[in-house]
Amino acid sequence: MFKWRPIRSKQLALLGLLTLLFLVIACAPDAKQSTFSASGPVAEKQLLLFNVLLWVMVAVFVLVEGILLYAIIKFRRRPGQDELPPQTHGHTALEITWTVIPTVLILALGIWSVITIFDLDQPPAGADTLEVTAVGHQWWWEFEYPDADGKGKYITTANELRVPVDRAIQINLRSDDVIHSFWVPKLAGKVDVIPTRNNYMWFQADETGTFFGQCAEFCGVAHAQMRFLVQVLPQEDYLAWAESFGETPVLTAQAQAGQQVFNSTGGCVVCHTATGSDDPAVVAGRITGFMTTETGIAPGPNLTDLATRERFAAGLADLNRDNLRQWLRNPEDIKPGNYMSERANIYQTADGRVSLSEEDLSALLEYLLSLK
Amino acid sequence: MAHQGETSHHAAPGAGHTEEETTTTGINHRKLLMWVFLSSDCLFFGSLIATYMVYRGQSLVGPYPDSIIDVPITTISTFVLLCSSFAMVQALSATNANNQKGIQLWLLATAFLGVIFIGFQMYEFYAFLKEGLRIDTNLFGATFFTLTGFHGAHVTLGIVWLLGLFFVARKGRLGPRTALDVEIAGLYWHFVDIVWIVIFTLVYLIGGFDSGPSATISIPIDPSILGFLG
Amino acid sequence: MATLTDVISRPASQSGLWSWLTTVDHKRIGVLYGTTAFIFLLLGGIEAGVIRLQLAVPNNSLVSPDTFNQMFTMHGTTMIFLVIMPLSASFFNFVIPLAIGARDVAFPRLNAFSYWVFLFGGLLLNASFLTNQAPDAGWFSYANLTEKPFSANAGLDYWALGLQVLGVSSLASAFNFIVTIVNMRAPGMSLMRMPLFVWMTLVTSILLVLAFPVITVGLIELTLDRNFGTSFFVPDGGGDPVMWQHLFWVFGHPEVYILILPAMGIVSEILPTFSRKPLFGYPVVVFSGIVIGIMGWAVWSHHMFTVGLGPVAVSVFTITTMLIAVPTGVKIFNWIGTLWGGSIDFKTPMLFSLGFVALFIVGGLSGVSHAVAPSDNQQQDTYYIVAHIHYVLFGGSLFGIFAGVYYWFPKLTGKLLHEGFGKLHFWLYFIGMNVTFFPMHYLGLNGMPRRIYTYASEFGWGELNLLASLGYLVLFAGTSIFIVNLIVSLRKQPDAGHDPWDAPGLEWSISSPPPAYNFAAIPQVHGQDHYWIVKRQALAEGKPITEPEAPVNPASIHMPSPSYWPLVTAIGTLILAAGMLVDVGWPYIRFPIPFIGGLIAFIGIIGWANEPAAAEHHAAVATHEPAEPHAVPRPIQPLCSACGSELNPTFRFCPYCGSQPRVNCSTCGNELDPAFRFCPHCGGNQEIPAEAHHEEA
Repeated sequence: MFKWRPIRSKQLALLGLLTLLFLVIACAPDAKQSTFSASGPVAEKQLLLFNVLLWVMVAVFVLVEGILLYAIIKFRRRPGQDELPPQTHGHTALEITWTVIPTVLILALGIWSVITIFDLDQPPAGADTLEVTAVGHQWWWEFEYPDADGKGKYITTANELRVPVDRAIQINLRSDDVIHSFWVPKLAGKVDVIPTRNNYMWFQADETGTFFGQCAEFCGVAHAQMRFLVQVLPQEDYLAWAESFGETPVLTAQAQAGQQVFNSTGGCVVCHTATGSDDPAVVAGRITGFMTTETGIAPGPNLTDLATRERFAAGLADLNRDNLRQWLRNPEDIKPGNYMSERANIYQTADGRVSLSEEDLSALLEYLLSLK
Repeated sequence: MAHQGETSHHAAPGAGHTEEETTTTGINHRKLLMWVFLSSDCLFFGSLIATYMVYRGQSLVGPYPDSIIDVPITTISTFVLLCSSFAMVQALSATNANNQKGIQLWLLATAFLGVIFIGFQMYEFYAFLKEGLRIDTNLFGATFFTLTGFHGAHVTLGIVWLLGLFFVARKGRLGPRTALDVEIAGLYWHFVDIVWIVIFTLVYLIGGFDSGPSATISIPIDPSILGFLG
Repeated sequence: MATLTDVISRPASQSGLWSWLTTVDHKRIGVLYGTTAFIFLLLGGIEAGVIRLQLAVPNNSLVSPDTFNQMFTMHGTTMIFLVIMPLSASFFNFVIPLAIGARDVAFPRLNAFSYWVFLFGGLLLNASFLTNQAPDAGWFSYANLTEKPFSANAGLDYWALGLQVLGVSSLASAFNFIVTIVNMRAPGMSLMRMPLFVWMTLVTSILLVLAFPVITVGLIELTLDRNFGTSFFVPDGGGDPVMWQHLFWVFGHPEVYILILPAMGIVSEILPTFSRKPLFGYPVVVFSGIVIGIMGWAVWSHHMFTVGLGPVAVSVFTITTMLIAVPTGVKIFNWIGTLWGGSIDFKTPMLFSLGFVALFIVGGLSGVSHAVAPSDNQQQDTYYIVAHIHYVLFGGSLFGIFAGVYYWFPKLTGKLLHEGFGKLHFWLYFIGMNVTFFPMHYLGLNGMPRRIYTYASEFGWGELNLLASLGYLVLFAGTSIFIVNLIVSLRKQPDAGHDPWDAPGLEWSISSPPPAYNFAAIPQVHGQDHYWIVKRQALAEGKPITEPEAPVNPASIHMPSPSYWPLVTAIGTLILAAGMLVDVGWPYIRFPIPFIGGLIAFIGIIGWANEPAAAEHHAAVATHEPAEPHAVPRPIQPLCSACGSELNPTFRFCPYCGSQPRVNCSTCGNELDPAFRFCPHCGGNQEIPAEAHHEEA
């Protein structure tokens, strides 16, 4: 009786494992970064490969664990069983079989994998590809469009990548400091962003909407909060956005006061641009190790058209007055380790709270929220 | 790493006994240990050399190898080190022949040639420093000083070991029965010599004419082939 | 120099603190390794607890991001370098000499040195907590995050120097075990008769010897970058952070097999014992272990599929990585083949071994899914990988190690661990392990990157993270039960006898705990599963073996004496490394302390070298000693068939003329296995006349 109990619970445990496994396969909920709800050819091909592997894995798992379990139960020692079992030392034919079959299976999967690797390496030849450069910074993303609207318009923006639907997007990956990794699970697997390498990746979204991405290579204190959004827009909406980007905002009196704060008392302008794109030469200069010099400033996200964004602070918080006010009061509360708290003059206070007056803060807020 | 050298260095003479022992393979424990250590050291130098080769021609600022590497001088020091291997062979053969004078003479000669080699290396390092190449100047400086510095440390350790054996020999304790002590030191010494041949070929004969970052290197080396080198 | 050892008398105490500080006995060193590593296991477990507590709910702010980063870095580094490797080393130490029929390892003092250096390396690494500068860049510490501008405090220096010291320890012990296994096997134990655990130790040690120098170079370069202004991995100076990844993984992938192969060896010992059946396909299992060891060198870039190596390199490494599943699968099939038709007894060591096989299958299968690069692009650096490594390192290595603990504990202490507690421990571990780590597969595929200290609730990762954290509690309970079991068993358990499992290994023929000299007479090995052969032969003769080998007067056996010098040298090594943390800023010598350490180490080495160590190699001394155990016939003295010279019993060929002796029994005329020293057919052991085998010559 005692001998039986462990076996039964082992069966149960394995049954539980299997159930969990099927749960995984059966219900892939539409989580925001789920690799199971792929969109576009890159993520779909990667998912297809994984799904096939998964079913092969499940089959092998059930088979091998099943045989193991069967052997454990069938050949358990019965009470009073004292005689020696048959002393077999091996079985050549059997051993060759279970070497050859996995080898063949694996080579077959391997060939398919290699085909997929080459297939996904480049966007399809002749496609009308939109090129965007993504620059990884500790801990936010900068996006540059060398030719956003097909007429040579250069755009710099941050943390929210806007791309047209049904068009191949090539992302050129550059890093300003350490290694990051660019990952939008629903659109494509990740590619590392490395200071010395001109890496690239591509994807193509099949549907419009907001896709979530996140840095996947550990890059320091705020690695967990280096997120970003990909807004996939209908072609015409995308063009409209590209053409109107950077138009001079309409400012109320309070917003104008805020602009003063931004440009002078607050010193925001040292790191942030709010009126149009950053100079490409400045951006290029940053990539040669801006961060490694102890200058006290760090490149900050470009804030042009900030108010049109869904979120701020690298995808962390919804963009609204309350959140932004909280952020401006003390960014450290929302994103520990950020360089704005560490380096901006207005935050060099005992408790890390902003040294601006409440009035200046409201004006600054008004200004930022009128950038559209 | 230098320390690991010391470890097996002492472990070898440490056993310090003379009776023939029975081992499964018939190879003495200490001798086998030395072979295993040398295989490990191969990978150590392999990795240092791989780093050097990967970073060939990648220095952003001078001085570059073509302006300061002096192949003729190093050829002489290489020759000296090769001669020391010959002396080492003589020392072992004198030990086996129980030629007490010969043992002392050749051990001292090996150590002396090693010292001359180190002298050349110190001169070279000094000359490079005067030319403005420090370990932190550029990648050439970093990889060059690390690679040749660790090799020099190995040679220095070998010299200390040889001198230790020389003092043992002066007490008349070396002879055919203890030839293994000399043989193991010899294995180490020859290995260090062979490593230098590789370094001399790659760093001086092939890499000695590299210049700055714009120069094209005949064989571009991608780090991804590192493993095959190392 | 010689005066040094003349002045300081050699340590002689057999008990008390000094005896442990100066011991060179492989069994005691094994205990030291095991105990130390177990304490580090608890420490690493606590670090894991902080991680699981922080991640239990979304947006948690229990610990700061800095603390969290230190925790996962130290958890990984501790579990790999201070727990699994030294726990394996503990088994190497305790089991290998016993399993090959030797009295100690080849270099007992070097062995003591390995332990002390390991201990000091672990302490150095953890001393970083005391200065609140624990390393925080992950266990593989990717450059250039590890460079000064991004990691200003001394954390990475502690890490680099600590690993450097641990490397010295691992290398020294690997050298030792290679020589021991190659050179100190008892007569008759040919390579293909070695127990699987001995084989896997040999392969592991070779991997260590070849892999560690690569990381040594990487760590030297990192230290130079951080302290001497070089730019090996600094992009601004022309260096390439990817170079670090190559150096790290050229070491790091063989390291993975360094972690798992010893556990595979342990399991390959235990499954046959408790199935009462020899290992199925022994040569294939050995060969697949060797193939894994070799192929482990050709797969390192699968850790770098997202680096942008280009499709050709990625394809090559995809195929090589997938192929490594074949020898691994072969091992699993052979283990099942061992169970098949056996008489399986579910003692705790067997449960852990079966758990190992069951869980390793899961880890192996998920491994195939990230061997395939396009699939890996979605999995790399996510919790899917975290799940995978824990299935192979926790479900694999640690289950194998615990199987070994339960298996060899009675040999070590003379007492069995309590079965009830043991089974409870196993089930808590088995369930806790699956509850903790299985959900992580799903979390990873659902987009949760690893190494994030917090996550937003909007991603829907909360429930499974909470489940994983609850699983941690089960594992915690399991570990507590194990500690209780240790204490209770050492106090209350009755004597286990010398052979509680009816096991096949040589080590079970001697008393438990083994005497300091291990074997009164060096045994003559008759085949794989030697002790089974001996016991079954004795049973067939109607004289079943119930007693261990009879003890002899220890004074009659020459054993290595204790020594201070390994400890002194290890202290020197520690000061040498730790001194690199103190930059005094003098103009030419910024780091003077390492010179002091170097001097101490040098004195230790000189003392060591001059210490009379005639006792160190003794394997041969006692072969002619008293009574052969269990009526095994006395070895014959083979003579060379060609020249008639007397052969050394351990030689397989004549050292004088080089020919292979083909021996026939002089009484019955059957040809003898050259490894046998007596005739297996008639039991005769007479001198064989030289002319008896001229037909072959």
